[in-house]
Amino acid sequence: MDELWHTLLQALAQLASGDESLWGIVGVSFSVSLSALLIALIPALGVGFVLAYYRFPGRWLAISIVNSLLAVPTVVVGLVLYMLLSRAGPLGDYQLLFTQPAMVIGQIILCFPILVAMSLSAFQAADQRVLETARTLGANRLQAFRTLLFEVRFALMAAVVTAFGRIIAEVGCAMMVGGNILHYTRNITTAIALETGKGEFVQGVALGIVLLALSLFINMTLGWMQSNSRVLRQMS
Amino acid sequence: MRLVLSNIYQSFAGQTLFTIPELTIESGLAVHLHGPNGSGKSTLMKIIAGLNKPTNGKVERIYDRAQEHQRPAVIYLHQQAYLFDTHVRANVEYGLKLRGEQNPHKVDEALAWAHLENIQHRAAHHLSGGERQRLALARALVLGPQIILLDEPGSNLDMISMERIREMLNDLNQQGTGYILASHQENMLSQDCAHNWYLRDQQLITDKD
Repeated sequence: MDELWHTLLQALAQLASGDESLWGIVGVSFSVSLSALLIALIPALGVGFVLAYYRFPGRWLAISIVNSLLAVPTVVVGLVLYMLLSRAGPLGDYQLLFTQPAMVIGQIILCFPILVAMSLSAFQAADQRVLETARTLGANRLQAFRTLLFEVRFALMAAVVTAFGRIIAEVGCAMMVGGNILHYTRNITTAIALETGKGEFVQGVALGIVLLALSLFINMTLGWMQSNSRVLRQMS
Repeated sequence: MRLVLSNIYQSFAGQTLFTIPELTIESGLAVHLHGPNGSGKSTLMKIIAGLNKPTNGKVERIYDRAQEHQRPAVIYLHQQAYLFDTHVRANVEYGLKLRGEQNPHKVDEALAWAHLENIQHRAAHHLSGGERQRLALARALVLGPQIILLDEPGSNLDMISMERIREMLNDLNQQGTGYILASHQENMLSQDCAHNWYLRDQQLITDKD
């Protein structure tokens, strides 16, 4: 027990000291995950909107695929992406394997279905009169869409926060296509896995504390959003 | 401004809802559109407002003045008004902002007209039924429409709220704004309508017929 307590204190001290190597790893995690989220966000909202408001052949199939992708293990995404990006793979010429862009691509694949599924639910739960009211008051299609985004903003923010939580904490895909290269592709989760394997627990615990603090922040933000959103309350 | 409906045919689930060979709606008219539940009153109002396209036929807007193009000439108000998830004043400002117009004085006037000036900073979803209807009317009025379409505006309103809405509608009509009020029953609001139209047996019967 004393050993655990000692490790925890050392980890907190390392965090407080502003250890460059440790915070560099945190920086890689945030840089990769925020990039993936920003790239995926607008197309995912567009797909969610189309699935919610338009009826076309194969719509149910598209929704089923999106829902199925929610549960795909990160290592499976990593495996498929590894095969595509490896030298012998169809995308091997781009030499993306073991780079940050490869990690970003993997995390886009992971967060896209979450963003689509949750925005689809948000749009479906939105009052059908929103678009009609906006249109009758003079909004063009784009302005009406922006109004709808505003009306379901808390539900959409919840989607963003959930998607970010999923990708910042994933380890399988980042490890496989990132390669865990120090100062480049080593992020929080791959570093924890490595340090634990080496028996060096202090840095692992310090990074774990960062992830736990982030998780707490995300859940508190979600709770606050839920208390402020009519749409979220209707969905829950 | 005039609205001209030509050869309107509307079906629902393969069944004819209504057919209107020709109809001209002049701004300034006060019309009570009668019809039983399910006769298609709301659908017709949304077609007139340009929110829905008819199965067949067309609706033309003929403007007398060029500036009428710049604003929503026909505004449709739902049976239960949808208020944007913000405060009362921002709801009134919504349409003005869409066309890039900053006019606090106009917003103040509309709020005062609807007796909402004292609660302009309140969250819109905290308003009562009557206040919601008045806010929806103020939000429309501030845009200077030619015709307002009200879908069952009297339902779920108490007498005091009805009286206020009635005053507002009369006020609007005196300023030259026409309105069509769809309701399956007579009420305080429909009594002021100079024209009565009936949607029944899949036909629209106006007082010209």
